[in-house]
Amino acid sequence: MTSAREHPLYDILRRRIAIIDGAMGTTIRTYGMKEADIRGERFKDSKKDLLNNGDLFSLTQPKLIGDIHRRFLEAGADIIETNTFGATSITQSEFFVDDPREHGGRKDPAFYEKIIDDPFLGNLAWEINEQSAKQCRAWADRVANETGRPRFVAGAIGPLTVSLSNSPDADDPGFRVVTFDQVKAAYKQQARALIAGGVDLLLVETIFDSLNAKAALVAIREVFDEDGLSASDKELPLMISAAVGRGGETLISAQTTEAFWNAVAHAKPLSVGLNCSLGPDLMYPFLSELSEKADVAISCYPNAGLPNPLSETGFDLGPADMARYLGDFARAGLINIAGGCCGNTPDHIAAIAKALEGKPPREIGQIEAAA
Amino acid sequence: MSEILSPKPLRLSGSQPFTQQRGVYIMIGERTNVAGSPKFAKLVKEGKFEEAVSVARQQVENGANVIDICMDEGMIDGVAAMTRFLQLLGSEPEVAKVPFMVDSSKWEVIEAGLKCIQGKGIVNSISLKEGEEKFRQNAAAVLKYGAATVVMAFDEQGQAATFEDKIRVCERAYKILVNEVGFPPEDIIFDPNILTVATGMEEHNNYAVDFINATRWIKANLPHAKVSGGVSNISFSFRGNNKVREAMHSAFLYHAIAAGMDMGIVNAGMLEVYEEIEPELKVLVEDVLLNRRPDATERLVDFGETLKAASSGASVSEKKAEEWRNGTVEERLSHALVKGIDAYIEIDAEEARVKLGRPLLVIEGPLMAGMSVVGDLFGAGKMFLPQVVKSARVMKKAVAHLTPYMEAEKAAMVAAGEVVKAQGKILLATVKGDVHDIGKNIVGVVLACNNYDVIDLGVMVPCERILERAKAEKADMIGLSGLITPSLDEMVHVAREMERQGFKLPLLIGGATTSRAHTAVKIAPHYSEPVVHVLDASRAVPVTTSLLSDEGKPAFVAQHRADYEKLRKTHSAPSQKLVSLETARKRHTSIEWRAADLPIPEFTGVRVLDNFPLATLREFIDWTPFFHAWELKGVYPRILDDERQGAQARQIFTEANALLDTMIEKKLITARGVYGLFPANGQCDDVELYADNSRAKVVERFHFLRQQANKEGSEPCRSLADFIAPKATGLPDHIGAFAVTSGIGLKELCDGFRAKHDDYNAIMAEAIADRLAEAFAECLHKRVRDEWGYGRAEKLSIDDMVHEKYRGIRPAAGYPACPDHTEKGTLWRLLDVQANTGMLITESFAMWPGSSVSGLYFAHPESRYFSLGKIDRDQVADYADRKGMSVAEVERWLGPNLNYDPAP
Repeated sequence: MTSAREHPLYDILRRRIAIIDGAMGTTIRTYGMKEADIRGERFKDSKKDLLNNGDLFSLTQPKLIGDIHRRFLEAGADIIETNTFGATSITQSEFFVDDPREHGGRKDPAFYEKIIDDPFLGNLAWEINEQSAKQCRAWADRVANETGRPRFVAGAIGPLTVSLSNSPDADDPGFRVVTFDQVKAAYKQQARALIAGGVDLLLVETIFDSLNAKAALVAIREVFDEDGLSASDKELPLMISAAVGRGGETLISAQTTEAFWNAVAHAKPLSVGLNCSLGPDLMYPFLSELSEKADVAISCYPNAGLPNPLSETGFDLGPADMARYLGDFARAGLINIAGGCCGNTPDHIAAIAKALEGKPPREIGQIEAAA
Repeated sequence: MSEILSPKPLRLSGSQPFTQQRGVYIMIGERTNVAGSPKFAKLVKEGKFEEAVSVARQQVENGANVIDICMDEGMIDGVAAMTRFLQLLGSEPEVAKVPFMVDSSKWEVIEAGLKCIQGKGIVNSISLKEGEEKFRQNAAAVLKYGAATVVMAFDEQGQAATFEDKIRVCERAYKILVNEVGFPPEDIIFDPNILTVATGMEEHNNYAVDFINATRWIKANLPHAKVSGGVSNISFSFRGNNKVREAMHSAFLYHAIAAGMDMGIVNAGMLEVYEEIEPELKVLVEDVLLNRRPDATERLVDFGETLKAASSGASVSEKKAEEWRNGTVEERLSHALVKGIDAYIEIDAEEARVKLGRPLLVIEGPLMAGMSVVGDLFGAGKMFLPQVVKSARVMKKAVAHLTPYMEAEKAAMVAAGEVVKAQGKILLATVKGDVHDIGKNIVGVVLACNNYDVIDLGVMVPCERILERAKAEKADMIGLSGLITPSLDEMVHVAREMERQGFKLPLLIGGATTSRAHTAVKIAPHYSEPVVHVLDASRAVPVTTSLLSDEGKPAFVAQHRADYEKLRKTHSAPSQKLVSLETARKRHTSIEWRAADLPIPEFTGVRVLDNFPLATLREFIDWTPFFHAWELKGVYPRILDDERQGAQARQIFTEANALLDTMIEKKLITARGVYGLFPANGQCDDVELYADNSRAKVVERFHFLRQQANKEGSEPCRSLADFIAPKATGLPDHIGAFAVTSGIGLKELCDGFRAKHDDYNAIMAEAIADRLAEAFAECLHKRVRDEWGYGRAEKLSIDDMVHEKYRGIRPAAGYPACPDHTEKGTLWRLLDVQANTGMLITESFAMWPGSSVSGLYFAHPESRYFSLGKIDRDQVADYADRKGMSVAEVERWLGPNLNYDPAP
């Protein structure tokens, strides 16, 4: 616990608003990649379509992903995220394993038990995490050296394609497709691989089901303890970020913002915040509530407005709009870490970074007290 | 005192936050504890978990802030029962909002419970009973899962009964938790053991006092720690005498809370209000609790017997008046759906069935109305997803009750030889390339709860498989889902395929990035059957019900089509990113103004050309558009040799020239024109025309529009005004204007052909006259360039001219660079067109006769054609001001160029 306190990011967050990068998925789409590009030689015979399994690009098109990391760093991001949002055996199974529902079956804990034990999926998930972490590490270090400003790599841990809080069975509200232990096992592997690849911090993000997130936090705690990171004072700082709906509730498990903070505060994260789902305008009241209740740094990286398939970028807001909104948040003293989620390109991040330059960060109670 | 921190409140959560309020006692419901409630134990043992859930609901309704859940009973599999029950509670929004207390003496049951709660709950309990090592381990695990914990005053020697033992054990535990485990002190809840008094044994008489004193000590000495206890233990000696027990509980709590007790496990229905305890009873009870006299127990026992005899022990009412039960059956059904209460749903459904006569009318009437309310509340952010699902489950119960009646009705119809419609079958799939389906699964649950047969194909389902299964299963409807933006294209693909394969099923579209507008604009046009966007799970049923109802479908579809048509209209001009007019003006075409580029014409003023020789014009004809008029697509002269269209092209070309020969020879039509050159200078986006070279008097003013599209790089925002030297340069510049026609006599010529039923030649004559008018403009442009001076030096063939290789342009009002037709009005005044040529402009600024061209001449080498594109409100307002028109009038003329929807 003390090691996290000494992490250089704490000092940065006391002095200024740190910038986190923009979206990987929607930015990849601007490169016009095709199915053959993501498959490369390695996955050329894969049975299912892989194009939207964006994490795989880190293995088959590392130059493309590196280019995106570089652009975000050059746009002014202090923190870049690994391309590992779906790099767990559970999420990868969607792209590589037959869906039992196609044959009248169903997904249930027995199905996921096989997924968790599947060596192909396990190895693949490990490799994506480790490779992506290494790629980010290399770019972050390179740009840090060139610019003389430290850059950090956040290991991105996404929400999974399954929910621990929701039953897909009309006849049984108590049914769950997957168990807590299975989810925990998948997350443990992801956390270990990210750490092995050299990330600076772990980011549990886009939380739409708080129980999934709690499984991730338990997984991370167990990795720290079992792998001797706690004993040797080498725990990584955590960032925690939820995706909330218009009522400020986590999208699937419907937990309100303050309730969510109460549920994750024990993990003593570096920061807690909101990302994805809403544009900055709609996010404001919940960010404000979180900023009032939480005594840690506040992060905010919203979508570039709501998805709008009829607009050119697929989202409502351009770089200037995002810069204006986040600038307002900074003036209101709400944020310590800012960036963008879906629909935010390097141009958006550059505009945000420029708008927040020199703006004082929100005061962080606990960190001030501990300092 | 100033050094003592004010105690940090206990913060917990279910789906809602719970923060301890200073001085407010936290009520922990105990009815969902198999040890405390035989009724609950029986339900669990019989596997009636759903009924057991209603016990939890009652606890919350009765005001419990936290509910204690305990499955410790020899005949119950604790891990399985705890997991199952908590997962059910997780799907019960009214209960899930409160924090849960996971209560067991077995660690594995506690851990199983912690794996099911998304919020911050309480563990009940851990202790030093099995030594420090185990205690530390368990505490660290509780912290890992993010819960608070009850710590029993228990150690290796056993339960701490006396004040001294209680505080010794609690202090020891506190130090380990805070200093070694890093447990937040405000999350430590001591239970210093409430032990039974009035047992007849003297050493038990001080138990209540010991607890109260220990509580006071803990609050004073262990910062932020909380105190709790199982209250009903205190009165265990008076089992069967609720009156005494309730009084004892209340009096005990009164004193313990005063000492700092924060919370307690208590049956909210078994509490008397302290102030309302009979005075005599209160004294007797307090004598026992506070150990005030040696005979206190006997005196209370005696009094208790008389009370027992006097009353039948009616306890404080557990039942809250359920006022909503007094409403009409429709209101009750709606309330039950909105609140997710299934307790009376079958009774109410039955009452509604009898009242309305047919089971289907209950579903399509009050039940559907209730679900619509749910949908509206969800849409307004006043209900959340789990509540919608819960409502759907209540709906399912109502439908299940009605199903046998519908079956019977069907059987009767079949017996009577009528056709019976089967239950709706809906096929759902997340489209190819997309793996997200939690939302789709919820839609599936809601539909299944509404009696639909749902076939879920899962995720990443290719189009072919969706359509094959839809055919094989004879589905009534297909629902497509997707979360990521590329899925939108795949949905378009599925719609196209359905059209190609001649499907007749409605198509439903849903998922986070989908929208009504996108569905209307991009998907629906590809498929002839209804393509309906379903905003969220709550909207699925009203849509499917309407689409499958024989009576309701036509009206729904008609309304739906009208709505989508409207959306398509709105979006036919997709809005672009524009810059402000101010910015656009700053980005004007950059021209370095030099006198050398501004030749002085040999005349200024107006010249008229009557009876212009058609033979001359013929040389200037650009034939390519002529072929386009005949729908032959190609470029002249290559088109004459085109493999496919060549023969046809050659034929009409020959016939056109033959007719043209006759027209020239017999002077069947007349060409007439007027043109002029005027001193002019630019003034912002206007061009001022002066009476003479003194440039003192402005005679006319042309108003131009400026591009506002936000373009990349150095592309300017152009306006035609940019090509005339601004007044500020002090350089004399000029502008030209013209109006020509070759249509005089055309109407008579065509009428003549038509009278002879020769429509072909009538059309041919019009097409030729159009070409001659354009040729006239071209030919005149050459003359003007010469008269302006700079044209004489050009060495251009007629073909070069037709391809506009010369310097300068001649844009026309109503065309892309200046789309406002009303500017023709200015030109007509300037050249006195009507008097000089007989050409008219109509109300809508169309020229008559048809084969006419008018426009302006710009001579600057930098002048070029461009398309105005979209403009914004700021320019429309500015333009209206310049033209002296109302904004609405400008919007009417410039409709296609507006980047916004003008107010109707």
